[in-house]
Amino acid sequence: MSATLISVFFVAGALVAVGAFAAAWRRDVTAAVATIPVMFAGAGMAFAGVARFAAAGGSHLLGQEFAVLLAIAAVALVALGLGIAGREGTR
Amino acid sequence: MDSLHAIGFYVSSGVLLLGGLGVALLPGRDLRGTALAVSGAGLAGAYVSLSAGFAAIVALICYLGCAAMVAGPGYRVVEGVVGPVWRQVGAIGAAALLVVLGFAAFRGDFVHASFSAGPFDARAVARLLLAHDVLATEAVAALAIVAAAGAVGAWRIRDRAR
Repeated sequence: MSATLISVFFVAGALVAVGAFAAAWRRDVTAAVATIPVMFAGAGMAFAGVARFAAAGGSHLLGQEFAVLLAIAAVALVALGLGIAGREGTR
Repeated sequence: MDSLHAIGFYVSSGVLLLGGLGVALLPGRDLRGTALAVSGAGLAGAYVSLSAGFAAIVALICYLGCAAMVAGPGYRVVEGVVGPVWRQVGAIGAAALLVVLGFAAFRGDFVHASFSAGPFDARAVARLLLAHDVLATEAVAALAIVAAAGAVGAWRIRDRAR
């Protein structure tokens, strides 16, 4: 049993598509904002997978660095989105 | 990738996808926050199986923070103004995106890449973040500061207006 770069890309693509679907389908804007981390997770996984599989002989850390930055950006965007969207909202 | 890493990757990916689907489909902020935390745990597991331990720790902390914000009492429901037709068009577009990304991943089989596991090496990642690519790190730090300040400001304005 083995996992390949294609497996990583399939999971990453599915995550991005699920996040995009929820962002488009949700009527509640705040719930749509909550799907940003799902899409960023797909992007981060693709970066980490490419760096780990395709950088033979080179540095394997660049994708990990991008994944770290994407995770931090996701939490920042969720905080900002929830804060702004909640100004006019109801419980 | 050996069998242990592969099993970890597939199990973590399943947990991650289930969490993502939960965020997309579950009703209620509590359930969505829980699903986001589950997806964070799955993402961390997938990163660990890809030998990206430092990213796993950071992702787990960040996604737990996102889950706490989504499930927390500061959550408000805001009805969108987009009509149902455009929402359906967006959903179909997301399905088309899945097909395109799946096809691109399937056609990527011409790349014969080999997995090379590495050590945890948080020091090397920190050196990359704080020395080599410091501009990107500063940009994300500025984004985080602006986002946190904006969120605090928005919440304070809302609480004052109540």
